[in-house]
Amino acid sequence: MRGNRRDVLRSLGAGVAFMAMPAVVRAQGADVIRVGALNPITGSGSPYGSGMQKMILAAAEAVNAAGGAGERKIEIIAEDSQTSPQAAVLAAKKLIEINKVSAILGTWSSGVSLAVAPFAENADVLLMHTSGAPALSTMKVNGKGLFFRFHANNERSGAAFAELCKRRKFTRPATMAFNNASGIGNVDGFRKAWEAGGGKVVESVIYEPNQPSYRSELQKILAANPDVIVTGSYLADTMIILREWFQTGQPVAWAIPGWAVTPELIRAIGPTAAEGIMSVDAISNEDDPAFKTFDAIYQKAMGTSGRSNVYAAECWDMVNCLALAIEAAGGPVNADMLKAKIREVANPPGQQVASFAEGKAALKKGKINYEGASSALDFDATGDVTPTFGAWSVESGKLVMKYKFQA
Amino acid sequence: MTYLALVQNGIAQGLIIGLAALSMTLVFAIARFPNAAAGDMLTFGGYAGLFAFNATGSLLATGLFAIIATALLSLAMYYAVFRRLAGRSSVSLLVASIGIGFMIRAVLGVSFGHGQLVFEIELTRPYIIGGIRVSPLDLKLALSALATLAAAFGILYMSSIGRQMRAVADNSDLARVSGIRSERVMAALWLLVGALTAVAGVMLGMATIVAPEVGWEILLPAFAAAIFGGIGSPIGAVAAGLILGVTQELSTPFVGFTYKIAVSFVVLCTVLVMRPRGLFGKAEAVR
Amino acid sequence: MDAYLAAIVSVTLIHVLLALGLTLQYGFTGLINFGMVGFFAIGAYTSALLALHGVPVVLSVTAAAVVAGVSAWPIGLASLRLRDDYFAIVTLGFAEIVRLALTSEKWLTNGVQGLSRIPPIYEGTGTAAAFIIVAILLAVTAAAIFLIHRVAYSPFGRIIAAIRDNEEAVQAIGKDPARFKIQVLIVGSALAGVAGALSAHYVTYIVPEQFMALTTFYVWVAVIMGGVGRVSGAVVGTAILMFFLEGSRFLGDFLPWISSVHMASIRIGVVGLALVLFTIYRPQGLMGDFTKR
Repeated sequence: MRGNRRDVLRSLGAGVAFMAMPAVVRAQGADVIRVGALNPITGSGSPYGSGMQKMILAAAEAVNAAGGAGERKIEIIAEDSQTSPQAAVLAAKKLIEINKVSAILGTWSSGVSLAVAPFAENADVLLMHTSGAPALSTMKVNGKGLFFRFHANNERSGAAFAELCKRRKFTRPATMAFNNASGIGNVDGFRKAWEAGGGKVVESVIYEPNQPSYRSELQKILAANPDVIVTGSYLADTMIILREWFQTGQPVAWAIPGWAVTPELIRAIGPTAAEGIMSVDAISNEDDPAFKTFDAIYQKAMGTSGRSNVYAAECWDMVNCLALAIEAAGGPVNADMLKAKIREVANPPGQQVASFAEGKAALKKGKINYEGASSALDFDATGDVTPTFGAWSVESGKLVMKYKFQA
Repeated sequence: MTYLALVQNGIAQGLIIGLAALSMTLVFAIARFPNAAAGDMLTFGGYAGLFAFNATGSLLATGLFAIIATALLSLAMYYAVFRRLAGRSSVSLLVASIGIGFMIRAVLGVSFGHGQLVFEIELTRPYIIGGIRVSPLDLKLALSALATLAAAFGILYMSSIGRQMRAVADNSDLARVSGIRSERVMAALWLLVGALTAVAGVMLGMATIVAPEVGWEILLPAFAAAIFGGIGSPIGAVAAGLILGVTQELSTPFVGFTYKIAVSFVVLCTVLVMRPRGLFGKAEAVR
Repeated sequence: MDAYLAAIVSVTLIHVLLALGLTLQYGFTGLINFGMVGFFAIGAYTSALLALHGVPVVLSVTAAAVVAGVSAWPIGLASLRLRDDYFAIVTLGFAEIVRLALTSEKWLTNGVQGLSRIPPIYEGTGTAAAFIIVAILLAVTAAAIFLIHRVAYSPFGRIIAAIRDNEEAVQAIGKDPARFKIQVLIVGSALAGVAGALSAHYVTYIVPEQFMALTTFYVWVAVIMGGVGRVSGAVVGTAILMFFLEGSRFLGDFLPWISSVHMASIRIGVVGLALVLFTIYRPQGLMGDFTKR
């Protein structure tokens, strides 16, 4: 028994020493750019996380196949943020301090991005995220300008929904929001824009995550007789809500974020129930060349359409933007240089390109403008994309684009 | 009108909770510990059912396959773990059951991924009976639940093994002395528990979604219902499940959608303070 | 590199505090508290809110301990009237209610938006600061260990051990177990509150959805693996658990064919397996235990 305990303590010591070893896994050298992927593989972001991670890896592969960025290969070190700020902070520290990454890509939940931000800022590491919280663009959080938001922020999204409702001549909207920063942010953005236009929201409900049923919540909304329900919801809860709604028999229109209205959803509720459901998403139109490239790879990797995971498209774009920025810098890079170059390669004017290979070639001739799979990727002064939005409608089981507008 | 609808919602939820609580109370009474793996067994049942449904499209096959698969899993849990812990404190068994639950969840996660899946059943509009909307799916699930409960009660009260299970629940020493072989009883118990959680899992999956965490979410209300109904009383567990389900939904106009989740606990705590043996439990030591 | 190690040590120390609280309650007194994460959350929010309003961190953490301890009082009363497994379930429910209240009471907690830019334990960046933070946490943990140790070997400690092993005997000699149980629950929960407060100041961002029951179960796993009823058990168990949870991150670097998704499932599966195996084959944990259970 005694010896047993000593053995345990001894192996513990060895374990600590093991962890202190540098994690040498791939050839190191000045010809590699290390980039961290910090995605929600588990936790509430898990429907999107694996796709996001896979697309970061695939995009890096494509960049390397085209000869690398600025003569260097991109190496991705992937971690699971667990959609938890605490876990994410540990993962970020590992990426920053052990793996010495120049950028962290793909944090999804606002909580995770907000928690990781100070550490990234202190270490001069870029952070490219898909979170919605407005705070992430403020000077307080993004003082150095190293953070780029690849996803429409809540205010812009909300305004897009308001525009859609206006065009379809709805007058009695109600809102349903998933109880987290992003869900609420979306409907708050809608409310602001709608009330600014002189309208009124007749009812709003916030519902808790992970419940087996949302009937009572639905009932409350339906009791106010809205003509359209605007949601800030995700795929799982949207599935449940729509199924339960259809079985109430009360007619109402739905305007749902594009990441929740996927072919999976349509299959799950059936084409009859899905008929007429509207969704709003930052444009990536199926005809965009960048989207097509992304979609093909996404389908191969994940088995479903790329339309079902806009965050994955955003991650794909993150790698391409970063790689093109490094390529444009042409030489050793630091954070300040990168942040300027990113705008240079992604914003107009310039030769429009839809992939890294195309951009790399075009850079030899002059300025480029990378138009991404998730949106046109034109960053404003605070690092947010200013996407064009598209509104789709489900018709006979398929998503059909109806409008495009700038928010 | 809306209150009636809330009651309907509550009943639909309550039946699932009641089934889970029934399996919980049986384990509490016969094996004498809270089975924290019940939630994950329920999830497993949902996945098993989905597998069969996607393969055959038949609801009957779905139910049978889920029941058999989960019953076997349950039996395996008994032989691999719980039997070895017989005679230990209920805390040990509880902790072991937590561990088993984690393992089940891990296997499901690796096999099926973390995304949520659905039974692709056609959705239908409600019947209108006397001004009240009733969903056909609700009715079908409710009937299945009642059939399952009838079968379970039949086994417990009208079969020989059921009698033996109840004897062990009452007084295990006396039961052993009078010749009841505890191992047979335990095996029967775990098979029954597996079957019940399977049905609850399939019901939950059909009414909502199939995902790795769904059973875990039901666990606490099911515990609350089992205790509220009185440990060892099958009727109590089901009744308590229904009451808690309905109370939870009826409370929403007053407490809101966030706090309604807390209603089961508040009810539970109140009950434990005022009537520790629950609705139908025997006056056994609560302390 | 050093800063990362410092980070892991820091998080481990915070969890050791939680494990110490549980050891006092379960290991020494036999109280089955499944609500640790609730007190952890109360401590985190108390300290964060006070600090965001200008209160110095030292004071806010102390306040967190007090508030968490006081909120354990009703739980203490419940423990007197309920048997073990019912009490366990009630504490589980309590922690859930805490989380729901934190989510709902936006006026106080900012709800699901969370509280960000919480003043850190020590202002400053870089490796030196990281080490100072470790030193501070070590000091707090050492103080807690010292405290618990003194309690364990005092007359108080002997009585609570007796309560764990044979409560009726304690009553027979004229001591009222109720008083001791409530005190133990309060002290243990205060420790959990300190852990929560330190965690809030460490991560500098808190949100209700991170205070889930899983944290409670991890602490239980740590205590069971380390050895119930021994202070060294709490420390060793937590160290092993954190080593495993963080170490499995590196496995991904060495074994790239295991995807992260699987890794997360494998992690929880291994934790579950460890729980089962320890319960069956080594219920006294690694450091052994002297409880009669």
